[in-house]
Amino acid sequence: MTKNLTRRDFIRAVGGITAMAVSGDLGPDVFAAQKRMFQFPEKDELILLTSRPPNLETPLHHFKKRVTPNKSLFVRWHIANIPTSIDLKEWRLKVGGHTEKELLLSMDELKKFERVTYTAVIQCAGNGRSFFEPKIPGAQWEHGSMGNVTWTGARLRDILNRAGMKSGAIDVSFNGLDTGTLPTVHDFIRSLPADKAMEEDVMVAYEMNGEPLLLLNGYPARLVVPGWYAPYWIKALNEISVWPKRFEGFWMDIAYRIPDNPCACVPPGSTPQKTIPIRRMNTRSLILEPEDGARLSLKKPVRMMGIAFSGGFKIKDVIVSVDGGKNWREAKLGRDEGRYSWIQWFHTWVPSKPGRYGLMARAMNGIGESQPFESLWNPAGYMWNKIEKIGITVE
Amino acid sequence: MKILLIFTVLFSSVLFALSQDRTPNATVRSIHLPDIRTDLKPGEGREKAESLCVICHSLDYIPMQPGFSKAQWAAIVNKMIKVFGAPINEADANLIINYLAEKYGSKE
Ligand code: HEC
Repeated sequence: MTKNLTRRDFIRAVGGITAMAVSGDLGPDVFAAQKRMFQFPEKDELILLTSRPPNLETPLHHFKKRVTPNKSLFVRWHIANIPTSIDLKEWRLKVGGHTEKELLLSMDELKKFERVTYTAVIQCAGNGRSFFEPKIPGAQWEHGSMGNVTWTGARLRDILNRAGMKSGAIDVSFNGLDTGTLPTVHDFIRSLPADKAMEEDVMVAYEMNGEPLLLLNGYPARLVVPGWYAPYWIKALNEISVWPKRFEGFWMDIAYRIPDNPCACVPPGSTPQKTIPIRRMNTRSLILEPEDGARLSLKKPVRMMGIAFSGGFKIKDVIVSVDGGKNWREAKLGRDEGRYSWIQWFHTWVPSKPGRYGLMARAMNGIGESQPFESLWNPAGYMWNKIEKIGITVE
Repeated sequence: MKILLIFTVLFSSVLFALSQDRTPNATVRSIHLPDIRTDLKPGEGREKAESLCVICHSLDYIPMQPGFSKAQWAAIVNKMIKVFGAPINEADANLIINYLAEKYGSKE
């Protein structure tokens, strides 16, 4: 049985383990630590966090590619009725509120706006949440709720200009087709300050990597706010409203907030005095090769590679250490794909003696923001960017 | 016989393709989400948790959590009730909190 075990069978096998646990054959901890893999429609096998709504994490090895293929990109929804069928004859993007006129854009009309394309990292605010201590409730992501995608669409600014924002606009809100299963579950609506909404690079994307969006990633159109965390990137977008006052809603005023101080952090386990909405991404780097726990042979060069990115200010340099942080060297950076993209880095070194090595990488962005040695804790588990350390054995 | 069969298969797939093209649904794109079941651990309160905690999302939200104290599970269950409007009465809430703290509690 084990020989031909496919991943799908693996899920069944885990089900079997559950059944055995029920009948008392196995302790309950057997299935606590299992990572479930599952293939959703239009997707690769991804790590299944939750099934309704789907929350799927990308396994790390996919990030060795400069651009994340659509089928490998993570999936993150908040409320359970997600759109699974879209008829473009019916779908319209409504733009209104505090505007001169109301627009009802079809996909054809949306595509008539000037086309813009760039590559940008999309990253969940809670990426890395599972690493925080003390532990924090929520989706227990490791590093895989992110990806680097080439987005194509219309500038939000051009759309808002067509509708004509009236003077005194404060916020612009964005709603998608997803809804809660009970009316008491707040609709997932997010807002941008009006001046942010008018920035050149914010777009309404209808393509990812040159293809229409996948349904699980927000088909037919989603907001792309490069440099800012993904909760702003509303999926299956169908309504944009301009507000002459501050927009109020659960997902802006209660959820997705960070401590209002320079580190966006508080002493672990404590509550911040004042919070603000989470916005721009911090600087991060990841080691993708070698893998944590790898056993390598002495005298053979060790090739380290990874990725680094920041919230829109490029990566200035990445430094690496092979001795647990005592000495640092500059890594070589790969091809520059623009300020919102991640960049690959490489470093090769020849170990001189056998033993265990602690490998670390630390990125710095164009405005001097870098990564901390200790995690910066906050109550919702956002913005994880601690310097990663992996262990390898040379023998 | 074999050839006839192949021909029939080919012909019907061509017909099928044509009919697909002519359907009024050419502008529709759909997926079918898999139905994935999560069973909670056996214990007193499991049935309540399985029937009430599944109203708004799948049950895997529970085993996904790293293991929390009773106070933390109480905070989570109360958030579901007070913030998201989970229709759970006090007795059931207490039963579920005890169950979660016991079966999905912190591992000290
Ligand atoms: C009225 C709807 C509703 C019910 C009923 C409900 N939940 Fe939730 N739950 C939510 C929503 C909405 C979220 C947030 C989802 C997100 O942000 O992705 C959530 C998230 C969670 C999370 C993740 C932590 C967090 O705070 O986001 C846990 C754990 C959880 N629920 C457990 C439970 C348990 C246990 C029950 C049964 C006692 C329950 N839920 C019943 C709506 C509900």
